[in-house]
Amino acid sequence: MTRDNSIVVEKLVREFKKGPRAVDGIDLYVAPGEIYGFLGPNGAGKSTTVLMLTTLLPPTAGSARVGGYDVRTEGPKVRSVIGAALQEAALDPLLTGRDHLKLQTMLQAIPKAERKPRQEELLDRVGLTDAADRKVGGYSGGMKRRLDLALALVHRPTILFLDEPTTGLDPQSRTALWEEVARLAREDKVTVFLTTQYLEEADVLADRVGIIDNGKIVAEGTPTALKEEIGRPSIHVTPCREEDRQRIAELMKQYGEPLGSERELVVRLREGIGLVDVIRAMDADGVVVDDIELRAPTLDDVFLAKTGRTLEGAATGEDGASAR
Amino acid sequence: MRLWGVVSGVAWRTLKNVITTPSLLLPSLMFPLFFFVAFAGGLSQVQNVPGFDYPNGYTAFQFVFVLLQSAAFGGVFTGFGVARDFEGGFARRLMLASPNRTGIVIGYGLAAILRWCITATLLTVIALASGMKVGGGPVDLIGLYTLALIINICGFFWSAGIAMRLRTLQAGPLMQMPVFLLLFLAPVYVPLALLGGAMHAVAKFNPITYALGTGRGLLAGDATQVGLSFGLALALALVFSVWALRGLRSAEAAG
Repeated sequence: MTRDNSIVVEKLVREFKKGPRAVDGIDLYVAPGEIYGFLGPNGAGKSTTVLMLTTLLPPTAGSARVGGYDVRTEGPKVRSVIGAALQEAALDPLLTGRDHLKLQTMLQAIPKAERKPRQEELLDRVGLTDAADRKVGGYSGGMKRRLDLALALVHRPTILFLDEPTTGLDPQSRTALWEEVARLAREDKVTVFLTTQYLEEADVLADRVGIIDNGKIVAEGTPTALKEEIGRPSIHVTPCREEDRQRIAELMKQYGEPLGSERELVVRLREGIGLVDVIRAMDADGVVVDDIELRAPTLDDVFLAKTGRTLEGAATGEDGASAR
Repeated sequence: MRLWGVVSGVAWRTLKNVITTPSLLLPSLMFPLFFFVAFAGGLSQVQNVPGFDYPNGYTAFQFVFVLLQSAAFGGVFTGFGVARDFEGGFARRLMLASPNRTGIVIGYGLAAILRWCITATLLTVIALASGMKVGGGPVDLIGLYTLALIINICGFFWSAGIAMRLRTLQAGPLMQMPVFLLLFLAPVYVPLALLGGAMHAVAKFNPITYALGTGRGLLAGDATQVGLSFGLALALALVFSVWALRGLRSAEAAG
């Protein structure tokens, strides 16, 4: 029998008392061995979705099968095939890193003879061997995240949930964690469900991305396909002299759709138009610019196209979304 | 096997924290000892009051109360730990890693028992060293400690039920106060017959009164109402176990 390490979600809803629908009827499918990036601003419903898929929160309506098991009725079976590192690392400051791993091996009923070697292997893998006997209360944020990841891997899960795993990490720790997650998917064929509010993280790691906003999935696909969908590249021009701004704007308008920007003049290029066409036109018109740049579409452009806001703006609460 | 893994894991971690953290260990040891020394020593002349008919003296009379009190509060203190784990988020790890979540409650319960065993041993050694007279045989003494152990489990299930419903350490007084009232509305300092007025009326219907009476009888080797006391204690344990497990379901539903 082949293992089923897929995630299938249909019309999943979670309502809180006296609150809005945190998750509002989402559908999604994560294929076995895939890294699925769940992207959205704070309060979009990412963490609530993870809590439901990891059986920590019952759904209000809809269904979800994780590893072939129903999250409502087969919670223990779901928990036996998943590992999860949640947003706020659930660690005991009074225990050491090694104590945490010992506890986890006991909870997961790892045979006694295998416990120590597994603990050492995981401590080594996340680079915490030297700090293993220190109390977790003294760990840095990055060390806690790495320990949390090690704990999630104790029982060799086939599906891994990572809820904003790199939030608050320095660039070096972030890269190390990305490498480990990519290795897990590539070598161990683990399905990874990763929530993030970092565009770069989703772009670098995810095979496919789902963008959630106000509890609904507004776009889904590979990062490349999503960018292509909205997307032609845009040209960003900084005029040399302020008095030329209007003239340059009029000229650029002939080559594409103007996009709002305070500092730069931006147009999304029409089909078949290239940077060279714009430069030639400016040259012919005698216009002088400080800077001109061709930019490929980003996931933020996708978010902007789908929601009318930038991800950064949404995250800082410009939309008034409450944290969920 | 998986259930035992969860039970032993939760119990190991809870005990490790208690034993290696003086601020958690010392109060559960010091309070019963303080009560024992204060009550048995300071009130020892009560045994000369007419009508005080306990044959083994006031030290033994007070020892049984402090033993049952330490058992009840040992359970409640473990409930504080449950609340702390839910408030701090550690309970999520347990909920996530445990295929069988009932094992989490049993694990905390086992830790409450083992934690109380440390207190009971120390208390017994000090009571014997201070000259406590023991009239009961081994079976009587096993009965006394078993009765206390059931009360320990009752205290734990009660407080764990509150902890998992409210999931905050601020629920501490709610866990502690009813246990405190129940204990001190029993014949603590004098036998039931010497209590008067409203106190006597309340104590007469207090299940702890029966446990105290039977416990003191077991220590003296002359136990009465054994079946009733054990029956009441077991019934309370059963009711509070349902209360605790429903608390767990409530915590699961709240996420």
